[in-house]
Amino acid sequence: MRIDWKQYDPGDFYDEVISSPGQPRAAARGLANYLKSLSDQQLARRQRAADLAIEEMGVTFTVYSEGENIDRAWPFDIIPRVIAIKEWQQIEAGLKQRITALNLFIEDIYNAKRIIKDKIFPEAMLAGSKNYLPQCEGVSPRFGVWAHICGSDLVRDRDGTVYVLEDNLRVPSGVSYMIENRSVAKRVFPELFRRQTILPVDDYPAALFDMLAALSPRPLDYPEIVVLTPGIYNSAYFEHAYLAQQMGAELVEGSDLVVCNDDCVYMRTIDGLQRVDVIYRRVNDEFIDPEAFREDSVLGCPGLLRAWRAGNVALANAPGCGVADDKVVYTYVPDFIRYYLDEEPILANVPSYRCEDAGARDYVLANLKDLVVKPANESGGYGMLVGPQSTAKEREKFAGLIQRRPRNYIAQPTLALSTAPTVVGRHLEPRHLDLRPFILSAQDVYVTAGGLTRVALRKGSLVVNSSQGGGSKDTWVLDGGGRR
Amino acid sequence: MLSRVAERLYWMARYIERTENTARLLNAYNLLMLDLPKGVGLSWSQLVDLSGGHDDFAARYRSANERNTQGFMLSDKENSSSIIASVSLARENVRTTRDIVPSEAFEGVNELLLFVRRRLASRSSRQHAYDFLSQIVQRCQGITGMLAGTMSHDAAYQFVRIGRNLERADMTTRILDVGSATLIASDAERERLEHRLWTWLLGALSAHQMYRQTVRRQVTAPVAAGFLLHDSLFPRAVLHSLGQIRACLKSLPRNTSAVRALGRVERRVRDTDIHEIFPARFHAFIDEVQVDLGGIHDSVQRTWFEPRARG
Repeated sequence: MRIDWKQYDPGDFYDEVISSPGQPRAAARGLANYLKSLSDQQLARRQRAADLAIEEMGVTFTVYSEGENIDRAWPFDIIPRVIAIKEWQQIEAGLKQRITALNLFIEDIYNAKRIIKDKIFPEAMLAGSKNYLPQCEGVSPRFGVWAHICGSDLVRDRDGTVYVLEDNLRVPSGVSYMIENRSVAKRVFPELFRRQTILPVDDYPAALFDMLAALSPRPLDYPEIVVLTPGIYNSAYFEHAYLAQQMGAELVEGSDLVVCNDDCVYMRTIDGLQRVDVIYRRVNDEFIDPEAFREDSVLGCPGLLRAWRAGNVALANAPGCGVADDKVVYTYVPDFIRYYLDEEPILANVPSYRCEDAGARDYVLANLKDLVVKPANESGGYGMLVGPQSTAKEREKFAGLIQRRPRNYIAQPTLALSTAPTVVGRHLEPRHLDLRPFILSAQDVYVTAGGLTRVALRKGSLVVNSSQGGGSKDTWVLDGGGRR
Repeated sequence: MLSRVAERLYWMARYIERTENTARLLNAYNLLMLDLPKGVGLSWSQLVDLSGGHDDFAARYRSANERNTQGFMLSDKENSSSIIASVSLARENVRTTRDIVPSEAFEGVNELLLFVRRRLASRSSRQHAYDFLSQIVQRCQGITGMLAGTMSHDAAYQFVRIGRNLERADMTTRILDVGSATLIASDAERERLEHRLWTWLLGALSAHQMYRQTVRRQVTAPVAAGFLLHDSLFPRAVLHSLGQIRACLKSLPRNTSAVRALGRVERRVRDTDIHEIFPARFHAFIDEVQVDLGGIHDSVQRTWFEPRARG
């Protein structure tokens, strides 16, 4: 049996492929027609071929369970998510605008603090921010850029509006899967790539390298760039190794590095100590330097912050840039854009209630059942309350938490994440998804064409994390909107 | 190349070689104990001494009987030269250098660990010890061959070779040390036993056949010891292993200190006439060689694994 788009029913959610039963969206027409030409058997066969390719390519993520690390194959759904280039250009402009404002904010907050003096952003926010690092005050990294690599999570609501759910400015991951997804998709649907113009994504490692090289404190043709990983037990180790390999950079652990009396960073090699210019660090702030932050950290390198402050090494992302990756600070981003750029935001924030404001707090406490409550400083979905799925007891607990530390919480309406057709067994069913584009900033800003689409593989689920049953799809930014 | 990577490759190779050598040693020792009459002065406890585990064993076991010593050498995780510990450490080192080592070799080490775990867990492992140990030797040889045949012979590989050959030289000297045991027997009987003991020593190093081809003489203690120390062509002879290490060191940067440490051992081994020192000073000589081998390791460690700022 072939797919009948009239039978495919996303309910009242926004579907990325069809606009109404049987009616594909313009950009997805090529894909929808093509899928219609495949039998169930052919579809299942292609999914199996993709699974095999992923296994052969060794694309894995690491799950820690039962005291042992397991490398799991990366779950990939062959049906791509398609975005028309016109819509994408709008999103791209919005992301560039956003990261520019965020970097201006971080630079300002560690230096002149103009935004506080002008009473746009309350000073009290800093006192309550776990990610504001006083050790970074007075530093101005090259180009005034702190968040060199950003992964923003975008979601589409029922009415089709795209919202920024959060800006991951610390150590966002997933970009290697974006690239691998594309190379698998090309094997699975070569016809569609021939027939349509799909923007490439595999220039990312080169763009990353160029961005990092531009940060080098020494004017060299070949600055020494390294990727700092917490090691093999980290869930994103595959990605760290992948990016290092693609860039031809050394993959180092904290113990490979040493800061000498000259406040420069060196790595231990068989040729002796070798000066390091740029560190793409995938270790969180609190662990990068036991001398400056957590004393018990063995993942970092003592003196790293000292070397960075002295301008002898570039760190990407800069320490302390997590201050803007805070759910409460997030609510101010539209204000940052207006304040620093004198522009209106192109991309919308999810409407948010700051529990700190008494009026908003009363509303949140009265409507917990319909809201999502998020703590300011956590990531990966920890410490959240999802109202519609919560028990009375959980709501009671959160009411208490909010009243005790209102600064720590924001609340948002639950969004109806859009869906896209996904292979389930031998046919297609709608599943919810989000999108994480990656944004690189140095003297210029670069945005990936599309990004990593994550999909909740369980029916009705909104959880897209790979550790919790999420999968991923290739993302196609389509030039020509399927007219060819 | 990162020092950490060099260090892990070096230890991976050492532990694979140690696994193989321990398996050879156990297999040969079991045969020797079957062959020698009781009460001649060789016992199970010497097996433990050989591996350098005397104090550790004495602290944790009451009696040095066959069962305990075999357990100590095969499945005791706390004994770092037991088969299970060596294989586990080899695996850990290869796992953390997966990007450097050819994937077949990684899989080989991984499968070896699974194999050893499975066999040790089954009751039959004692009855089929010979088969079990022979398979370990074969698998280790397979891994070593895979590395030699599929890994670029660059600096990374030189550290693999250094580790393997240093471990091999070390084990050869340990096994030679068994030959310094004083056998308690009458003169006529002693000669016969000594012949048997040294034939065993050659066997433990798979050297018997090559000895026959090269030396073409009856097995006697000083001649066999000389072969295992001085032969430059037999792969498990000490001077051969040292020659391999020399070739590796030549291609590495900043090798002065390591080459000097190597030269010291080579000279000591080459310049010693075994007939002169056997049996009275043989044990002391082996001890000195072992200390010298440790000196090569220290120098490799200082130069390449722990580089420091100059001045």
